[in-house]
Amino acid sequence: MTSNPYQPIRAEIKEVIAETPQIKTFVLAPEKEIGFLSGQFMQVTIPGVGEAPFTPSSDPKKNDMIEFTVMKAGQATGRLHELKSGETVGLRGPFGHPYPLDKYHGKDVYIIGGGVGIAPLRALLLALFHELERLNKIELRLGARSPEDLPFKQEMPTWGKREKTNLVVTVDRGDEKWPGKVGVVTEIMLPGDVNPEAAAAIVCGPPIMMKFAVKKLLDLGFSDKDIYLSMEKNMSCGIGKCFHCNLGKHLCCVDGPVFTWEQVKEIPDPW
Amino acid sequence: MSEYFINTKDFNYLVSDLMDKSRVAAPAGEFGRKYWFDVDGDSLGRIDLTGYRTVEPCKAYLFKPTELVARYFDGDTHLSAGPLVLLGARACDLEGINVLDRVFGEGDQDPFYLVSREKTVLIGADCTDCGASCFCSLVGGGPYPTACFDLSLAVVPNGYVVEVGSEKGKKIIDDHRNIFARVLPPAAAAKKENREKVEAKLKRVNQGFSTGELSLLHKLNLENDIWRRLTKDCVECSACNFICPTCSCFLLVDEASSGLNRRHKLWDACLKAGYAKVAGGGNSRPRLFQRLQNRYHCKFDYSFDRLSRYTCVGCGRCIDGCAGNIDMREIFAALDREIKK
Ligand SMILES: Cc1cc2nc3c(=O)[nH]c(=O)nc-3n(C[C@H](O)[C@H](O)[C@H](O)COP(=O)(O)OP(=O)(O)OC[C@H]3O[C@@H](n4cnc5c(N)ncnc54)[C@H](O)[C@@H]3O)c2cc1C
Ligand code: SF4
Ligand code: SF4
Repeated sequence: MTSNPYQPIRAEIKEVIAETPQIKTFVLAPEKEIGFLSGQFMQVTIPGVGEAPFTPSSDPKKNDMIEFTVMKAGQATGRLHELKSGETVGLRGPFGHPYPLDKYHGKDVYIIGGGVGIAPLRALLLALFHELERLNKIELRLGARSPEDLPFKQEMPTWGKREKTNLVVTVDRGDEKWPGKVGVVTEIMLPGDVNPEAAAAIVCGPPIMMKFAVKKLLDLGFSDKDIYLSMEKNMSCGIGKCFHCNLGKHLCCVDGPVFTWEQVKEIPDPW
Repeated sequence: MSEYFINTKDFNYLVSDLMDKSRVAAPAGEFGRKYWFDVDGDSLGRIDLTGYRTVEPCKAYLFKPTELVARYFDGDTHLSAGPLVLLGARACDLEGINVLDRVFGEGDQDPFYLVSREKTVLIGADCTDCGASCFCSLVGGGPYPTACFDLSLAVVPNGYVVEVGSEKGKKIIDDHRNIFARVLPPAAAAKKENREKVEAKLKRVNQGFSTGELSLLHKLNLENDIWRRLTKDCVECSACNFICPTCSCFLLVDEASSGLNRRHKLWDACLKAGYAKVAGGGNSRPRLFQRLQNRYHCKFDYSFDRLSRYTCVGCGRCIDGCAGNIDMREIFAALDREIKK
């Protein structure tokens, strides 16, 4: 019989990085090495409080430390934000299907992210940087409500400086110091960014943003099967037993959380 | 499979013997209905294998309403279960367990269910009657066990006909070889006659009802107005979830007390508004009609993608338990008309 899938392993918080007023990155040292692939998620235990699912934001190739970039959204995330380095959390996982990186080989990779949705995309991007030679190019289109709401402020500009990689960032509301674009992320998705005939689009962000990004991608000529989405559903067990995350016939935790638009488009309002 | 006869006196001896080694639970009548109870030396005579299913399913013996599943971080939770005999499970109960076996045993496994299940002997029983809400016959079942049992009993004059369904069951026979006899023609005939009688009654009770084209439920647009109409009497009590032998949703809930953190697995209900809520107010099924609809899809549509079968076993418990008096079979009829439109 399998080991206990509900038992978390211990992980020490090594560092807490304040990304934005609402988002922090937690650098964790798990007691056992955890191998994950970008797009997979883990259940993070806040001791005595409960669990919440997060997709690691760190480089999947780095095994001794694992990072989660978390927005304060409610009870569990609120308590997590109060924890300091040296304190302990628990981890279960990784769970679910990762991004199918091999399907992106030879193609333009169009990455669309909003707010804390940029966190999982960072892990994807760091994974893709290891295999840049196999990609045609990476086009990053990222957005947040305001300049101060952008996570990874130091690191993000360096992404655009990598070879074969272009970065455009937008904010809903700029300020006097903001040099970049102002507007929602769909406004910086333009014809000619990528060749939709030989591209994969990956979208992660708030439901409303994903909805409009998919619409835009379809307008740009993407086919349903080339649009990859990270779906957020209520999750408890992570192993396809508790059924909380059902999305039509799919269980988000084991069949996802990465789905193609083709898989979920029949579901009315899948967001 | 082999069949034996056991007389009533020897049957009582067999149960006492099983009780020496195991917890034994069986149905007993109370206020005109039957409920599961823990049999002890004094209550042996209360076991009643006539009639049809109990009010509550026996799933709670295997999939506990609340169960400690982790203590952290001081080592693992000890996985253990005592031996248990479920005596007198109906065909629908056994089918329900079959669904749970697959949900918890296929893919990633839930060791808490499996360890209890492993230690459990399932002794089925033919129904000698059916209830007004019984509709096993509409979902591919019938009033007598055909699978998923270790032993199965049919009440006949002066005793029981016992059918062997597994190695576990065969071992019980082998251990008590001297009390099992050959089945004589009158006992075999009584068994057959009872089966035919209950099948005929089930047919009468369910006259005019059918699951029709229910397996084509996915063809029906989820936005179809019919769902709003069908849901108008639902009061979101979730009785249908909790009383269902195949509903297996749960929630992991953590608590801290005296420096120790514990994680419990609790039964949950998909009819509850908070079931699919996510942070920031999002909810896949904010409206009650969407949640009731999801329950039908779960049992009659998504179940085919997951397990290639209906996961409703037709026990009718959710009909009896419904505070809004919703009869599933009437919903089938309405859905069927809509699907065929
Ligand atoms: C696959 C996946 C990946 C994700 N990745 C990230 C990420 O990288 N970064 C990020 O910031 N977010 C991520 N999220 C979202 C994150 O999981 C949620 O923001 C988080 O779960 C919110 O938890 P909360 O308790 O703070 O919020 P709340 O709003 O308090 O609760 C959220 C859910 O938990 C339920 N709940 C809360 N308390 C209880 C209770 N006591 N009993 C029963 N139910 C309760 C609520 O009903 C609600 O369904 C991801 C989600 C998924 C599904
Ligand atoms: S859905 Fe109703 S009739 Fe079907 S198995 Fe569950 S309780 Fe029984
Ligand atoms: S639904 Fe069928 S098997 Fe279950 S109690 Fe009724 S008649 Fe017996």
